[in-house]
Amino acid sequence: MAGVTLDHVSKRYHTLTADGRPVTGLDDVSLHIADGEAVSVVGPSGCGKSTLLKVIAGLEMPDAGRVLFNDVDVTRWPAQARGVGMVFQDYALYPAREGEDNLSYYFEVRKRTEEEKARRVREVATLMGIGFDLLLERQVDTLSGGEKQRVGIARCIVRDPNVFLMDEPISNLDAKLRERTRIEIKRLIKAFGITTVYVTHDQQEAVFMGDRIAVMRAGRIEQFGAFDDLYFSPANLFVATLIGTPPMSVLPAVRRAETLELAGTSLPLPPDLAAELPAEPLRLGVRPEGWLLDPPGAALTLPIRHVERIYTERAAYAAGDLAGSPVHVLVPLDFPAQAALRIAPDWERSYFFAAEGEAALRVPGPPDLF
Amino acid sequence: MLFPTVGRKQWQVRLGWYGVQVLLWTGVILHLIPFYLMLVTSIKPASEAMAMPPTLWPKEPTFVAWRLVWQISDVAQSVLSQPLYRYFLNSLIMTFGVIALSIPVTSLAAYASSKLIKGPLARPLFIFFIGTLMMPGIVTLIPSFLLTRNFPFPLPVAPTIPGTDIAFPTLRIWNTYWAVIIPAGFSAGNFLLFKGFFDSIPDSIINAARVDGGSEFNIFRRIVLPMSKPVYAVTIYFTFGGVWDSYLWPLVVIQDSAIAPLTVAIRRITDAFSYAGTTSPMTAMGAASALQPLIEQGLSWNGLMVLGLLQALPVFIFFIIAREYLMQGVRIQGLK
Repeated sequence: MAGVTLDHVSKRYHTLTADGRPVTGLDDVSLHIADGEAVSVVGPSGCGKSTLLKVIAGLEMPDAGRVLFNDVDVTRWPAQARGVGMVFQDYALYPAREGEDNLSYYFEVRKRTEEEKARRVREVATLMGIGFDLLLERQVDTLSGGEKQRVGIARCIVRDPNVFLMDEPISNLDAKLRERTRIEIKRLIKAFGITTVYVTHDQQEAVFMGDRIAVMRAGRIEQFGAFDDLYFSPANLFVATLIGTPPMSVLPAVRRAETLELAGTSLPLPPDLAAELPAEPLRLGVRPEGWLLDPPGAALTLPIRHVERIYTERAAYAAGDLAGSPVHVLVPLDFPAQAALRIAPDWERSYFFAAEGEAALRVPGPPDLF
Repeated sequence: MLFPTVGRKQWQVRLGWYGVQVLLWTGVILHLIPFYLMLVTSIKPASEAMAMPPTLWPKEPTFVAWRLVWQISDVAQSVLSQPLYRYFLNSLIMTFGVIALSIPVTSLAAYASSKLIKGPLARPLFIFFIGTLMMPGIVTLIPSFLLTRNFPFPLPVAPTIPGTDIAFPTLRIWNTYWAVIIPAGFSAGNFLLFKGFFDSIPDSIINAARVDGGSEFNIFRRIVLPMSKPVYAVTIYFTFGGVWDSYLWPLVVIQDSAIAPLTVAIRRITDAFSYAGTTSPMTAMGAASALQPLIEQGLSWNGLMVLGLLQALPVFIFFIIAREYLMQGVRIQGLK
């Protein structure tokens, strides 16, 4: 087991994408993952998160910077020597081999004994749960997607890896299986306590799998922290809008003295907040739960486009447009059908961003629960 | 399927179905007629083999031609200096020599080009290899021939080292088996087939094997090779057929008739027969007199058919053996 440190790692690719731009690599990425910690890396496709994983695995060599496992510089070590375990989105099982032979390739190339191999495979089969030994006897092209990924995960843990690397392991599975496999992986990560880097483009998955989450864009890490940090203290507008479903509503606004001009309405600001904000155009971000319904005093009128009821989560969202931007408001599940809604931002739970660029001017910060 | 069973109740679909059947069967029959005629003619007596119009089935089937063909070299030394099996052997040596050299070289080159070479050099290298396909073989025939004399000089006689009268050491493969084997050591066509197949293997499989600790060659041998049987079957089959049936190149680079392949030997016999049977008495004389004893015993075009069948047989047998993999290969690559 090992902690993983990336120290100012950069990677550029020579190949170009279809529209002639260079493929995103990594741009001065620094990251420290503690021993036994599970970290999710989330970002839109092409943000370099898979490259990050490959650099940790040793499948890509960085142009600059260092990769350390437990203070050992492994930057120039090939993948073969690093002892990591990797799970791939497309399973990457060896097609000409049976399930069990997929697990045993690691032992074959290391000239380990048959007994050790058999013992490890048995142990892993027990860990993986009921019916797993049946999968091992089958040719891999007869396995379903979920079964393939179970074999893929088993292949990864059979070696007792230093680091688990997971590259969108469940995004090719159907919804129900995805849920089950997600819990299964989480269980295994907890059971082994192995350092894990989990790459995904789905922020909910990232929140579920990782103790901490790294948000990436265009080869850079925008923010790295626990869910509460990302959610309540986003470093910039990109992180703020990426984390959270439905996404935060972002509305153009102008502060004038003690009021905020928002979508043609003047809303009075609390004095301390007014003092904090610059008297210029800015952007207001409000999460669906950050709106006050039917507040006393000045309020915005949101014409309701539709109401989305999510019964499993006992919640409903009213959707509409304000000043040309989509707005989602959390409403009770038994919210009656109506044409419009009076709302006002809850200043305690509002985010403020500069009108130009993405800098955060003021964020609420994680709530003090105790 | 082109025509699902359920659709055949509609008359248009049924008509289409029958049309396709007719076309396919016509194709099959057209392909089989020459083979049938060869087979039938090879068991006809000499006079009937030459009869006009030809008979569809011999009146008295006989294997005399099959027997006499094996005796050509005993009787007509001037036409064929070695027994027939010797030419078979020569062809086999060349064919398997080329396969043993070119398949590993070409497939490893294609694998490297597909999975190992990254960066700005990858594409020019690929274009270079493929570029060799652009040159028609006949254009490079004479330069290639000259290269076999004193490699790397395209000269019949090796130049001397300046200031001395010692000739440069050169590789002389002309008039040896190597002259056929070495130039065929890399095949751009097979390279393209291999690369197309290796490109279809996801990088993640190779990466998974790297993470598992396999060296690049071990990954190729233990992971990639077992997946690639169909493409190997296809390329080996094409190479086998190509070298076994090659005529012009061996004719140019092999002068010693003892190491000539079967194609060259068969051509020599055919020539002797054609002169004996058809052209002017003057030119016919030499060859005819050499073959006279055999002709008297009943050898004519029936013998040539025997030789043709012997030439075609190994490729056919190879096809039967590798049929399963070849079909997979054709499905994978959609070629032919």
